[in-house]
Amino acid sequence: MKKRGYGIGSMWYGIGSTAATNPSGAFVDFLDDGTAIVMSGCADIGQGSTTVLAQIAAETLGVGLEDVVVITADTGMTPDSGPSSASRQTYISGNAVRLAAEKAREQVIAKAAEMLDLDPGEIRLRDGQVWYEEEPAGKTMIEVIAQCRGEGILTLGHGTFNPATTKLDPATGQGVPYATYAFATQIAEVEVDTETGIVEVKKIVAAHDVGAAVNPQNVEGQIEGGCSMGVGYALLEEVVVDGGEIKNPGLSSYLIPTALDMPEVFPMIVEAQEPSGPYGAKGVGEPALVPTAAAIANAVADALGIRLYDLPLTPERIVAAIKAAASSQHE
Amino acid sequence: MEKFQLKMKVNGRTVTVAVEPGLRLLDVLRDVLHLTGTKEGCGEGECGACSVILDGELVDSCLVLAPQAHGKEVVTIEGISREGELDALQRAFLTAGAVQCGYCTPGMILAAKALLSRNPNPGRQEIARGISGNLCRCTGYAKIVKAVELAAAELQQKEGAAGV
Repeated sequence: MKKRGYGIGSMWYGIGSTAATNPSGAFVDFLDDGTAIVMSGCADIGQGSTTVLAQIAAETLGVGLEDVVVITADTGMTPDSGPSSASRQTYISGNAVRLAAEKAREQVIAKAAEMLDLDPGEIRLRDGQVWYEEEPAGKTMIEVIAQCRGEGILTLGHGTFNPATTKLDPATGQGVPYATYAFATQIAEVEVDTETGIVEVKKIVAAHDVGAAVNPQNVEGQIEGGCSMGVGYALLEEVVVDGGEIKNPGLSSYLIPTALDMPEVFPMIVEAQEPSGPYGAKGVGEPALVPTAAAIANAVADALGIRLYDLPLTPERIVAAIKAAASSQHE
Repeated sequence: MEKFQLKMKVNGRTVTVAVEPGLRLLDVLRDVLHLTGTKEGCGEGECGACSVILDGELVDSCLVLAPQAHGKEVVTIEGISREGELDALQRAFLTAGAVQCGYCTPGMILAAKALLSRNPNPGRQEIARGISGNLCRCTGYAKIVKAVELAAAELQQKEGAAGV
């Protein structure tokens, strides 16, 4: 018999390294043609951080995204930005880039104010133009940058961000381990075959508070990818160690989800602005995977009326649990 | 050991190379012809990262010995763009955001290409089956499936237009 069930999993997760200093630095410079160069140690491992850093720089500098070049993760050129771990790069390196871009912008605004004889506090940079009181003020950013160059004024900005954390009290465990947290809830729908013990995940709805989604397509990609790792964690993946030896070291024995194992995932981006984040952003990398297995296990419990306490929920474990429940009912 | 004179067509061009007979097609492509778009993942035919199209069939190039490709036609990821213009699948992968770390992408695109040449209008489940031999740890496959749908729709539309 096939039984359906629904389960929910919720989580909160700290952004950045736990109770540790973990700063990031960035350099931002305008080039003569009005484009900008961003240097950050942030390693893009596919999550899209280079795109996100370019977007943050473009927004801050008032230039188009296509006018920003990002150089990353080169120890010969870029400042240290810490690791691409702890779901931290959008929040921490994003802030470093924002601060560096603000400083580069200040140089150009100061020179523009002098050239136009205007109050620098009222000047904005947008679309490659100098703006004053919501109108173009009659100078392009290229002209102002050229003036800076001529006078030997650097348009370089540097920024650093270190989230406000404290060490934890060794006696009480109290302190501020993270400057901000991500929140998420996922709901899974499953179908369990009581004969074979096979669990099929039919649907996952995944709602994630990411602060602000700098790049919604990237955020969805992170959520969908996290859910697939969560499906693997819930149903397939287990490192079998015997006497210190891993017994399933290959992809033929340690199974991860294929396209056929994945249900339709419905990512929902919840944007609750984080005041300390760059344009309100936090992180989403690891949180996407955290609640998935719990939601699936709860859905299986809902379907069967039996709660299992060991992952993954393999067909063998499901059938054994059904048999054990049936025999304890007979006693 | 005596070298094997391997003659095959790679991405439309005939190549002749003397190789160790025990070399895999994957090694010939990457190390001899320097077509490094084809990736080595597991090296045992499980992950699909090294997928190429051999005489119209999708194969794991880590499981094909070089002499087995003799006289045959190989298409790698480098061979599907034409004069600098990306293939419909490559463009669809960009549009849909179907690439994260990128390691599975060449094999994934070739798997999709082989699927679309067999079945130009696949449903979602057929797409999932068509790429199920190609593992991806980043994307959860959702945007990859979407990209294949996009490319199929574009190719169908073009075909329709050409038919008129």
